[in-house]
Amino acid sequence: MSTVSMRRVVITGMGAISPLGVGAEALWQGLREGRSAIGPLRHPDAERLRVKIAAQVPDSFDPTANIEERTLIMLDRTSEFALHAAREAIAQSGLDFSQNELGVRTAVVVGTGVGGENTQDEQSKRLYGENSPRAHPLTIVRVMTNASASQISIAYGLRGPTFAVSSACASANHAIIQAAQMIRYGLADVAITGGTEACLTYGALRAWEAMRVLADDTCRPFSINRRGLVLGEGAGIFVLESMEHAQARGATILAELAGVGMTADATDIVMPSAEGSSAAMSQALADAGLAPQDVDYINAHGTGTQANDVTETKAIRLAFGTHADRLAVSSTKSMHGHALGASGALELVAVVGALRDSVVPPTANLDKVDPACDLDYVPNVAREMPVRAALTNSFAFGGLNAVLALKRAP
Amino acid sequence: MTDTTQQQVFDIIAKQAKIDVAIIKPESTLKDLGIASLEAIELIFDIEEHFNITFPDQQGANFDSDTVQSLVDAVQKALDEKAAAGEGSK
Repeated sequence: MSTVSMRRVVITGMGAISPLGVGAEALWQGLREGRSAIGPLRHPDAERLRVKIAAQVPDSFDPTANIEERTLIMLDRTSEFALHAAREAIAQSGLDFSQNELGVRTAVVVGTGVGGENTQDEQSKRLYGENSPRAHPLTIVRVMTNASASQISIAYGLRGPTFAVSSACASANHAIIQAAQMIRYGLADVAITGGTEACLTYGALRAWEAMRVLADDTCRPFSINRRGLVLGEGAGIFVLESMEHAQARGATILAELAGVGMTADATDIVMPSAEGSSAAMSQALADAGLAPQDVDYINAHGTGTQANDVTETKAIRLAFGTHADRLAVSSTKSMHGHALGASGALELVAVVGALRDSVVPPTANLDKVDPACDLDYVPNVAREMPVRAALTNSFAFGGLNAVLALKRAP
Repeated sequence: MTDTTQQQVFDIIAKQAKIDVAIIKPESTLKDLGIASLEAIELIFDIEEHFNITFPDQQGANFDSDTVQSLVDAVQKALDEKAAAGEGSK
């Protein structure tokens, strides 16, 4: 542990656009009810695709709501999600960035796996498929991976450190960690952070099909009959604040972001390692000053692939020892799907909900436990129980692990 | 015809794994031949491209532990289905 005295970091706002609807509360309500948003793929090319299911943001999401036309034309779907989620989070926090030069002391760090994929796909189709001689002039500003972070910065006049973080399925957690570290070390007092992803394009879906990791029925984490992951999309954005800043203005604190852990497996580009991910969990515990027995809940990475669920179970046992049998562990990807670079952010909404309401969301579609997955996965029905502290895991292709440790609001 | 399919599959495997085709036996698993994880998926892609077929997703689950014979059978099945689907369609 560092001898530098670090500031404590709290969450004072959250927003989400997810397959369970518009708003963090819609997401949390859906999860605690055990409602799965996985359904038939809605896509113009659905007929010729092999992938038939996905967890998609419903059509009731109106990207144009309260956003000016001159801003809208700059936005890929990825940034639409991020900007709407940021607006919800900032409104909840009650912060006014124009007061006391707060904008200068506010950072923006947004994770995304691929950035403006819909724009990329549309323009490629124009150029290669339709032999158009020109791309849309706003292609670059829509595609760039930092577009979401920059649009949030511009919309609210946030002039602190602002950038994107990209680490495939761990992007959101890695981004949130960067934001938290800046607050801890005094580089910012407030940070807008999270993850966003919207990459259900024809090209990306074909690429996922070829990798042969997609389920054709639904997402069944830890179940013996699991058949792979189900792609999702969405964004989760949070307002992080130093605890002293939040307390000084009398803000409502949703949870404390108490510790972080990051490791790389350095083994295989896709096969996960229990050693790498358990080390990230142990780091997060130590950083938060938590002993294993202080933790009540883990929101698992839980993709529903053969490899992840067994390896993650082993990793939890390695990090928690005998306390692993007393943990509630659930994969909410069974309901909101795998939103890739946004998944850690959607899952943080679940963890904040669990800490706040003393309810652990379930693992949906858990028909029959795999003997190799021998923890308490809270099958199918949410559980009322006190949650003092929780971890949330994100493990990415590339062998990259990022874990957050949360404590109930002080 | 079946032998030809088998020989072609064996050749693709040998090329992908950089091994002598003679050491591939029908009962070998891809894992035995040192083909795991992403290499197995790449091999499936090579086979699909070579025969212009598409394996159903379900078969993707356990390539590593499947035998070479089961892979050859799957290719033959896909080829038969393609032939049955009609000569006219390309």
